[in-house]
Amino acid sequence: MRYAAPTTTREAAALIAKAKGRAFVLAGGTDLLVRMKIGTIEPELVVDIKRIPATQSITKSATGFRIGAGVPTAAMGENNALKKAWPGVVEAANLIGSDQIQNRCTIVGNLCNASPAADSVPALIAAGAKAAIVGPRGRRTVAVDKIVTGPGTTSLKKGEFIEAITLPRPPPRSGDAYLRFIPRTEMDIAVVGAGVSLTLGPNGVVKKARVTLGAVAPTVVLVPAAARAITGTRLEDVALAKLAAACEAACNPIDDMRGTIEYRTEVAGVLARRAAKIAYQRAGGN
Amino acid sequence: MNDRNTDTGIGAAVLRKEDRRFITGFGRYTDDINEVGQCHAVFLRSPYARADIGEIDVSAPLEMDGVIAILTGRDMAADGLGDLPCGWSVKSKDGSDMISAPHPPLASERVNYVGEPYGVVLAETRQAARDAAEAVATDFGELEAVVVLKTATSSEAIHEAVPQNRCYLWELGDEQATDAAFQNAAHVVTLELTNNRIIPNAIEPRAALATHNPASDEITLYTTSQNPHLARLILSAFVGLSPEHKLRLIAPDVGGGFGSKIFVYPEETTVAWAARRIARPVKWAADRSESFLTDAHGRDHLSRVELALDADGQFLGLRVRTTANLGAYLSLFAASVPTYLYGTLLAGQYRTPAIHVEVEGVYTNTVPVDAVRGAGRPEATYVVERIVEVAARQLGIDPVELRRRNMIQPDQFPYQTPVALVYDTGNYQASLDRALDAIDYGGFPARRAASEAAGKKRGLGFACYIEACGLAPSQLAISLGAGVGLYESGEVRVNPTGSVTVFTGSHSHGQGHETTFAQIVSDRLGVPFDDVEVVHGDTGRVEFGLGTYGSRSVAVGGSALVVAADKVIAKGKLIAAHMLKADPAAIDFESGEFSVRDSNQSLSFGEVAFAAYVPADYPEDLEPGLSEKAFYDPENFTFPAGTHIAEVEIDPQTGVTEVVAFVAVDDFGEVINPMIVEGQVHGGIAQGIGQALLEHGVYDDQGQLITGSYMDYCMPRADDLPDFDVDTTITPCTHNPLGVKGCGEAGAIGSPAAVMNAITDALGTEEITMPATSEKVWRICRGD
Repeated sequence: MRYAAPTTTREAAALIAKAKGRAFVLAGGTDLLVRMKIGTIEPELVVDIKRIPATQSITKSATGFRIGAGVPTAAMGENNALKKAWPGVVEAANLIGSDQIQNRCTIVGNLCNASPAADSVPALIAAGAKAAIVGPRGRRTVAVDKIVTGPGTTSLKKGEFIEAITLPRPPPRSGDAYLRFIPRTEMDIAVVGAGVSLTLGPNGVVKKARVTLGAVAPTVVLVPAAARAITGTRLEDVALAKLAAACEAACNPIDDMRGTIEYRTEVAGVLARRAAKIAYQRAGGN
Repeated sequence: MNDRNTDTGIGAAVLRKEDRRFITGFGRYTDDINEVGQCHAVFLRSPYARADIGEIDVSAPLEMDGVIAILTGRDMAADGLGDLPCGWSVKSKDGSDMISAPHPPLASERVNYVGEPYGVVLAETRQAARDAAEAVATDFGELEAVVVLKTATSSEAIHEAVPQNRCYLWELGDEQATDAAFQNAAHVVTLELTNNRIIPNAIEPRAALATHNPASDEITLYTTSQNPHLARLILSAFVGLSPEHKLRLIAPDVGGGFGSKIFVYPEETTVAWAARRIARPVKWAADRSESFLTDAHGRDHLSRVELALDADGQFLGLRVRTTANLGAYLSLFAASVPTYLYGTLLAGQYRTPAIHVEVEGVYTNTVPVDAVRGAGRPEATYVVERIVEVAARQLGIDPVELRRRNMIQPDQFPYQTPVALVYDTGNYQASLDRALDAIDYGGFPARRAASEAAGKKRGLGFACYIEACGLAPSQLAISLGAGVGLYESGEVRVNPTGSVTVFTGSHSHGQGHETTFAQIVSDRLGVPFDDVEVVHGDTGRVEFGLGTYGSRSVAVGGSALVVAADKVIAKGKLIAAHMLKADPAAIDFESGEFSVRDSNQSLSFGEVAFAAYVPADYPEDLEPGLSEKAFYDPENFTFPAGTHIAEVEIDPQTGVTEVVAFVAVDDFGEVINPMIVEGQVHGGIAQGIGQALLEHGVYDDQGQLITGSYMDYCMPRADDLPDFDVDTTITPCTHNPLGVKGCGEAGAIGSPAAVMNAITDALGTEEITMPATSEKVWRICRGD
């Protein structure tokens, strides 16, 4: 196995593109190192991207935020501007693993690990996040919901890696939230997760919404029907019931001893309702 | 008590001596120890729950780099090693002996649970051994496994010698009197209960390191044991590994046991045997998966319980029928746990006049089931306290009131129960009253209403438990089938400079004995706490011992030290009398000073200690030296008791249950170190809440353990638990010199019943089994 720690994005892309065997990007390493140690993967090349300055910072601009691929989620939790703009995303990112894990793990790693239960992904998709991809043919930007194609697989092409995640600047009167259910209260993998992002119009009516669900299908799912159910409402009970029904209809979960299909499906609706209420309050609705 | 030592003596919350090394990384656990030339063992384990072992092809792995040898059960059998015994024999109700299935340390012909070892690979590195183990090709003839407890006695026999897979059908109590009580009853309450299988999960997995010295022919085995002397006795007398005087067991720092490290296991035995056979030190350390698969599991009972009451709610009779899973073989204490440590506790804190219990001990193709923290007593408490709570609900009597009406009164001790035990002392009302205050019982209806207004369900549950600890009076234990006595040894060795080295047969694997026992001896001898060193866990240094389990260490081991310390004082008086030219009968000892009564002549403890080893002009009848031993055999069990109350709040939309308050008021008799006692109670409650809400060891119908990792076996963590409100009441034990009862298991004994009583109170149904997972609770809330 070769280990490389380039200092530029271009160099990293070239290394990955030229690798003869399987190449992996190392950021926090909280998934990669575990898989290497138990022998489920045997990389020919590991490219550590933490020495590339562009991966190491959270930057705020007129258009929003750019979170480098090497930024640990704990650092997101310490960024007040980001927390204020996207509290749901930051909360979701800081549900991953434990405090120790959060000092290492990254949202790009969480995304590229491509688990249906990834905690930060429903919140990122609800927020309309985009992935800044670098590859042998240059750069491209893709919506986060187009990255994961199934459990453990992504749409990234050979030689490509994600340099950063961008989040738009939220419009006025916006809010987001993420909730998950696990058998315990921490350090576990979601049995159900629900993300909601919404923007209010005048008079506290939901103008625009995005609703996502995690751990109930092979990938995180965006549920437009659920968003429609609350758009134009003030989250009255009828609207919330329609939201829950739409979420339940979008579920296609596995059935295991951590949660049956029935339970995951119904709890998905419950969590979506609760997340919507939190997002609504954060947007200034009442 | 000694005035001078109030900050470190009995009753003082002294910080634990041992924590300095633990928190600075200087703890020395078995896997921290390395011998020159050691190699590593990895076990060949059965992938099947039941199979015949065919040809084992080791030719390819033997050629692999670093592989030294591959030994199998057939090699072990050829060397003549004996079976692992069960240390307790139980008789069936028809008078016949229990049927103990042969349990070779390494299987040679047939395997009977997934993970059972049938061979061992020895290699230069752990990785090489692991790779070679994977390359061993074994032909297994898979057989149908018996996994389901409920139908095990009507399934094919696992062991040829055991028809119907029944090890025993044991009974206790007066069946006729109990039947009569039911005939006269105004009410009969019936309940079916499952006590879920749990996996102990000590933080340090089991490990062993063995060295054979060819010059002395001595085997030294470092291992994770709660009772190294007993393990040595068994390895020598039963397994025939080595003569007892040529076998030294050292249990160095051990990271938790919870019962699972009492037993003599195949792996430790094999490591010691292999070290001599290949003439190399051999090390083995279990990984977490091996712990899940092969540490003895706990509980796993199915019970039918009936309580007869008169019109006023007085208990008339209790009838219990229990099926207990023993696993594939009888582990060391397995036979006694669901019988003598269970049936004898079914009187609880109550005056129930007639009790009859029948327990069917059953083999299944699962890992052996044995003692886990509480061992039989949590199961008994669960039976008694669940049925009492249900009776209160069905009769419309307040659950506290129903308990009060039936409790043994403080003036009724000693109290002979209908299930063999004589409780020496107690005051159950006192701990109940204190606990009711702490939980604010009167405020519960308002709290429940507030929860309901918020769309939540709230419940309150009680457990007034009793346990029998301080195992055990030898004569009684042996008459009931124990293979050894259950006394404890202690030695107080005064060094010439007056410092004291204490040797105890108890073993600390987290309990803080090095502190507690130093407090006892320091207090008794009037020497500074820091001048007392406690040695344990080494058969080469400690004379004998029966180890630590059943909350016995202070009550039995601590008492032995008191007796030894008193012998030191008696000998010291002889020396002081000689030095002061006084009559020994006129010497008093107090606060570390020997003095001549009615005089101003005195000698310090240190002066006498020095004189003991520098005998300038001793008379003929005075031996030099100041070191004394004692074996203490308790007169009776001790009977800690108390009240635990749990309050829970349930979110009906997700089924998430939060334990919002937990009160434990325990009577442990006298308390040596209240901080350590509180820590023991906290840990026990956490384990009990884990059993009630989260933990469940599950085998599928092929006998595969499907909860073999922390992903699927849900351990409780700090944020699953509320702040515990812990307090003690005291009625001193009447028959040991310290007045102590033991505190190690109480938390795990009371809490499962309290939590389940609270959950069933909140849900308004008894139809839920442990663990009360969110999904189970959710199904009930939506009316499934």
